[in-house]
Amino acid sequence: MSITGFAHKGRGVGVRDHQLILPSVVCSTHVSRKIANEVGALTFAHQNGCGIIGIDVPGVDNFFIELANHPNVQSVLVISLGCETIQGPELLPKINRELSRLLVIQESGGASGTYEAGVIQAKQLRDNFKSAPAVIEKLVIGLDLSRNIENLAALKAALNDAGLEVVIQDQQGVSEHNLAKLMSKKVQIILSFADDNQPPSGFPLIPVINIASNSPLHLALAAEFDLPSTASVQEIIKLITAVGNGQKTKSEVSGIGEIVAPRSVRSV
Amino acid sequence: MSLTGYERGDGRWGFRNHVLILPLHQILSSSAREIELKSDGAVAVSHDWSQVIEKDHERIIHLLAGNATNPNLYATILLRLGTPIEDEVIARAKKYGKTKLIEVSLTEAKSIENLTQAGIERANELLKEAKAQQRVSAPLSAIVLGLECGGSDAYSGITANPALGVASDELVAQGATSILGETMEILGAEHLLARRAITKEVGQQIIDVVARYEASINYEGIDIRGAQPSRGNIEGGLSTLEEKSLGAAKKAGNAQFTGVLEYAIAPTKAGLYFMDTPGHDIEQLTGFGAAGVNITVFTTGRGTPTGSAVMPTIKVATNSEMATAIPDIIDLNSGTIADGTQSLEENGKLIYQLILDVANGQLTKAELGGHHEFNLSRLYGSSL
Repeated sequence: MSITGFAHKGRGVGVRDHQLILPSVVCSTHVSRKIANEVGALTFAHQNGCGIIGIDVPGVDNFFIELANHPNVQSVLVISLGCETIQGPELLPKINRELSRLLVIQESGGASGTYEAGVIQAKQLRDNFKSAPAVIEKLVIGLDLSRNIENLAALKAALNDAGLEVVIQDQQGVSEHNLAKLMSKKVQIILSFADDNQPPSGFPLIPVINIASNSPLHLALAAEFDLPSTASVQEIIKLITAVGNGQKTKSEVSGIGEIVAPRSVRSV
Repeated sequence: MSLTGYERGDGRWGFRNHVLILPLHQILSSSAREIELKSDGAVAVSHDWSQVIEKDHERIIHLLAGNATNPNLYATILLRLGTPIEDEVIARAKKYGKTKLIEVSLTEAKSIENLTQAGIERANELLKEAKAQQRVSAPLSAIVLGLECGGSDAYSGITANPALGVASDELVAQGATSILGETMEILGAEHLLARRAITKEVGQQIIDVVARYEASINYEGIDIRGAQPSRGNIEGGLSTLEEKSLGAAKKAGNAQFTGVLEYAIAPTKAGLYFMDTPGHDIEQLTGFGAAGVNITVFTTGRGTPTGSAVMPTIKVATNSEMATAIPDIIDLNSGTIADGTQSLEENGKLIYQLILDVANGQLTKAELGGHHEFNLSRLYGSSL
């Protein structure tokens, strides 16, 4: 399998060249979205970063760090409010220093000042630092097994034979917790086998190839799955190669899939 | 001063006539945002719920249905997959209010692209109807005011919060409803609020709700009096949770407490209430939205841009320095009280006036900036 990706200094080689606008708190998600929409970057809505206690503080902090350090990320602009629990100025040094910047809303002239400065900084990060193409020696594929599949052993063997490293997350039910764990293991592409009663999924930084089951919901939503339940291993590998080389998955085109940060404790 | 609004036919009044786009599964959130961007003024929210039955199931169903029927909404477009759990939300919403509910289903649209297109078309039709509807004269009792503070500093308890208390007292005296939230932020001051309760029972409820709240945090092995005030509060000059609480409680003025409300539950008659909410700004706003609050005043010391999709949210600065530094998110400055250029009563009257102006249609900074965060508050975390 021959895949050419993007060299991201300090982050590894990715199959995508995404810029991430990372809101460190729910209060900065809207400004982050406006910047991302303007410059064509990715961001995500979330409800964290403040009012969190106990193990959720390091948990959410680590989650943000892992997102920012993912190999599919070209650069990161952290947008912080200023008075939140997860402080932007403390988060920044914990993420890859290469192409990472920070803006604090309370110190940057409010929401509009931050938006204007953010657009300029994001464009500079994008335009002044072009990622070099790089051949990916061993692509890391994540398997989201939110439902049981019959041919798992054969699929895994075939993927390995094709020179792919395979990471499995098999918590049953909804996909997003598996996707978050696969992200933290730095997989570059995800094969998602959604639960029969769940729709296809997506993850903003990582191409997700959705493979349908024969459930009524999946049949009804066939247009949003990349492959039907009848897809052969060869077809799956062929699609992985194409997606690795830049072809967009259905969920990348539609933009579906919120990033769900792990939370264990109530908010305060 | 005359007040105008939209009568909803169930005793409730709206001061906005929004069309809300509410996704009923997290994968429909991006479509909701797209519909907002491409329609002629619909407002959308995003969330991370995947329709899994969890311990917080009832809380989530209630928050979705309650916000879908907030009196500030002309209509809500529910984006759905076509699953039975969505029927539960819709049935509940029909019980809660008379808001027009329009369902757009992905299984019928077949693709996200078609769903978004259908959503834009329906939103534009509904927006046309909403814009044609006229405001009518409303009584002051139409106001259901939410009291909130976030990013508090050492000025909060001596400027913006007591000034908001003046406005709240004035409104309550004229038959309006006012709701104080943020249980953690009355912790340490609950005995003072309990003395103002209309009956002994209501006073005891205030004490009990605070004790229950602290116990739920202790249960996690965390001492909340150690975790609060937050670091941002300490940088803002607050020393202890008790100091923060004494200041936060000032938002509710000096009126008697008519009752205590569980999180996101609507009051049944006018008066001043205490509601058990998290201090998390957005979880509080989402709870107010579900409880039928139709206007919110949010005091802030550090400055925060957030707002709500369903309620105009007025930002009041506690200090002039911040109000000057980030004017794009502040509607009114109470720092003038500390500056000595305005009395508490004078500033409180300005807040009162601004509440009426905003109710009558004046846009808040949060509305102008498009800020409407949303959050499904959970008591049990979201990791399954």
